[in-house]
Amino acid sequence: MSKPPIDLNDPSIEACKSTCFFCHTNCGTIAYVKDGEVIRVEGDPDHSTNRGGLCSRGNIALKHLDHPDRINTPLKRKGEKGAGQWEEITWEQALDEIAERLKVIREESGAEALATCGGTVRTDDWARRRFMNLFGSPNSFHNALLCWIPTFMIETAVSGWSPFGADLDNARIAVLWGANPGASVLPTMRTLTDCQKKGMKLMVIDPRYTATAAHADLWVPLRPGSDLALALAWLNVIIGEYLYDEDFCRDYCTGFDELAEHVKQYTPQWAAPLTDLTPTQIRESARMYAKNKPGSIMWGTSMDQQGRASGAAIHARALIRAIMGNINVTGGDIQTGPGLEFMVDEEFECNDVLSEEQRAKQLGSDKYKLCTWPGYGLIRDIALDTWGAAPPSEWMCEANAPSVWRAILEGEPYRVRALICCATNPVNSYGDSKVVLEALKKVEFLVTCEYWMTSAALYADYVMPIAGALERPVIHNNYGCATVFHGGRRAISPLHDRGTDFQFWRGLGLRLGQDDEEDWPWECEEEAYFDIVYPTGLEIESYDEFVDEIGGSYSSDFNPNAWREEGFPTRSGKVELKSSVLEELGYPGLPTYVGAPEAHAEDPEVVESFPLILTTGGGFMPFHHSEEFNIKELRFLRPDPYFDINPETAQKLGIKKKDWCWIETMRGRIKQRACLTNGIAPNTIYTQRGWWYPERTLTPGEDDPFGVLESNTNVLTAASFEDCDPISGTWACRGLRCRVYKVQEGGAR
Amino acid sequence: MTRYAMVMDTRRCVGCDSCTVACMVHNELPLGIIFNPVITDGPKGVYPHVHMVHIPLLCMHCEETPCVHACPTGASQQDDDGIVWVEAAKCMGCGACVEACPYNARHKDRKSGVVLKCDFCKDRVRGGGNPHCVDTCHQRARIFGDLDDSTSEVFKIVNGMRTERLYEDLGTEPQVYYVIGLGGQEA
Repeated sequence: MSKPPIDLNDPSIEACKSTCFFCHTNCGTIAYVKDGEVIRVEGDPDHSTNRGGLCSRGNIALKHLDHPDRINTPLKRKGEKGAGQWEEITWEQALDEIAERLKVIREESGAEALATCGGTVRTDDWARRRFMNLFGSPNSFHNALLCWIPTFMIETAVSGWSPFGADLDNARIAVLWGANPGASVLPTMRTLTDCQKKGMKLMVIDPRYTATAAHADLWVPLRPGSDLALALAWLNVIIGEYLYDEDFCRDYCTGFDELAEHVKQYTPQWAAPLTDLTPTQIRESARMYAKNKPGSIMWGTSMDQQGRASGAAIHARALIRAIMGNINVTGGDIQTGPGLEFMVDEEFECNDVLSEEQRAKQLGSDKYKLCTWPGYGLIRDIALDTWGAAPPSEWMCEANAPSVWRAILEGEPYRVRALICCATNPVNSYGDSKVVLEALKKVEFLVTCEYWMTSAALYADYVMPIAGALERPVIHNNYGCATVFHGGRRAISPLHDRGTDFQFWRGLGLRLGQDDEEDWPWECEEEAYFDIVYPTGLEIESYDEFVDEIGGSYSSDFNPNAWREEGFPTRSGKVELKSSVLEELGYPGLPTYVGAPEAHAEDPEVVESFPLILTTGGGFMPFHHSEEFNIKELRFLRPDPYFDINPETAQKLGIKKKDWCWIETMRGRIKQRACLTNGIAPNTIYTQRGWWYPERTLTPGEDDPFGVLESNTNVLTAASFEDCDPISGTWACRGLRCRVYKVQEGGAR
Repeated sequence: MTRYAMVMDTRRCVGCDSCTVACMVHNELPLGIIFNPVITDGPKGVYPHVHMVHIPLLCMHCEETPCVHACPTGASQQDDDGIVWVEAAKCMGCGACVEACPYNARHKDRKSGVVLKCDFCKDRVRGGGNPHCVDTCHQRARIFGDLDDSTSEVFKIVNGMRTERLYEDLGTEPQVYYVIGLGGQEA
């Protein structure tokens, strides 16, 4: 049955160090190439991230490369938007025509009338931002706010740089707060398991009994959306029981006394009804972290996804770590600062070209100030003063997505007329999908850069065929915020008439008056990447040589003890428990309780109509976001969407295992099938994310192409201005109110 | 001599299905046939007092092989190193072996009419490598090796720790060993 192994001595086979692309971990792979064709892809046993391992997604690289549904040539719309009728054209023609249209829109409405949105690290984001800055628009965005960016920016506002480098090898405890690496980032799970074997304790704070929680020493099943209450109560316990690091708080922090006074109100008794935990559970979990020092609180997306409670929750979590003195110590959470031995993304973004006047027009920056130009500007200046390098504006300084959809639909504060989507289907990935789909249908000019026909691409005027992992080189450097990066080579040239996002932005830029020597001196990624890695000083003459030389990963030196002499990279040189950056932007300097948008709703009508608490957004194998639903070698594992419901609740509602049910919030309803599990509280529902049905044929005039509104959890999520976090602008996927009932009309769908 | 065996460390498995997909893709299995599923046992108990374990499966490459005995054509065979496999050219698809296997490890392919099963990726392992399901496992929950080699990891685990085998009472002498435990610091 098994295929013969690859004969490594066959001189016609090249083993190319490439990179997996199916999540942002970017594991190292070996692509075996024979006569210009990739014949096998396996995990790279020498790569420091994955050490040979590959998850289910990583194994389907060749299925992705040759998939019959891939878009292989640029498409131009024929007929009505959404009719699905296309003309195949060349890259030249597509870029010429797109550029011409953008030129007219810029002349008539200003550069800000163009917005662009991106996906998860399979693109050269600096190239997009470079294009946008040179074009003159501040309205570039990702799903950044749901994924780490509020965490990075708030932690940086507190301590000068987010301490996201966990030293697990030496930690006595790791706290996973709303993270499930066992179903998302498997190399991290492996490290945790290895460290547990050596004696490290693992605490998982999660409403769900996940694959990771099943391996924990303590599972803390809090109510979705109550993370802020729990974090404040932990501060109360740790300070009240004198478990904090007194020397560190005295010598290296500002604002400790005020914090201590401030959190006196947030007792475990106060937090218990909000979190659905007992005061004892709250106290014991806080003690377990505090008494196992040094320890790490690792990042998870949960707190980034709680709407108006997110900012304060992230702030409170940062303070727990800080008062324990768990920053920049062996076994704690480490601030690396930016990589100083290679070029970071920010240095490639041309941020200085964008005028103050244009920066001020960034959508949402008047309301949500930290992750837009006002806050990013402050943080960038401090970082440049400290290191001469800064976090990237791409990700850290973006137009607020809900504000962009509103600007398209309502023309407030001005009309966004053109949108370019690159590596994302916003209908699946942004909050309140019905609004997003309306915006895509309505925007005057839409371009998507895609692998597939999606519900977003369907409404595009042009669809550009994008090359996948094996067809391009990759650099992954934590957005330019870490001293480590991973790199892989291009295994083969793009197949068919596919191209890369870099080629797209460069080609567009050159047609819009950007200069090929000054602005875009590199003809391909390898040339640009060579400039990125050149400062490492290694004896290399090309990017490919660099990859082979470093074996896929590069670590830049940094001094983890610099803070002891030089202080922290904040304006005061200390960890600012009471953050001067947040205060300067008009936010409270200390985290103050606010309920998540709906989990703690008091309106009795709402509580009665929507009695259950919804959590969503958590990843699950084998999919990543809305990807891989069309790869049959993965989809067979999960052909249908499932939501989790406690058996007791299911019984009350007359719901049996596998029943198709409606899950409904104030914004709409979706269908998923019931998974009865004791791994979730009776008052809580978890829905799977990302669902669409790429196998469905399109019918003319279809309102819901590919069933993208049918089972997509973002139909349920909340992204109105009032729901969003005032600090970061992120919206709410967790801690919402919902009701569940069986689908009655005939058949499953 | 060589005696191939696999150890499943259930304390490390997270049920990610990577092994299932790696096998399917690299061995080009027809859709619907899976050699090595992972069973999720749980969460058992009542919220919030629950526990859960994942159990990876595949052909047990038994020493006493009911499947080989059941085969009327000699297509099902066991080699000296213990690997049980099917010679497709001799298989007439009668399904006797499928019935005989207590582990549900044999599958008749409707298209080709022959029986398909895990062969421990025999060409690969005889060249010194691991089966695909082992190499792809981030958690190192699947461990492969030679039980006749006292320096191998499988030898050390099978001879040094408490392990269990599935349906041991049937007397098939399966060569897949399970380390059972609670995970965490025991793993």
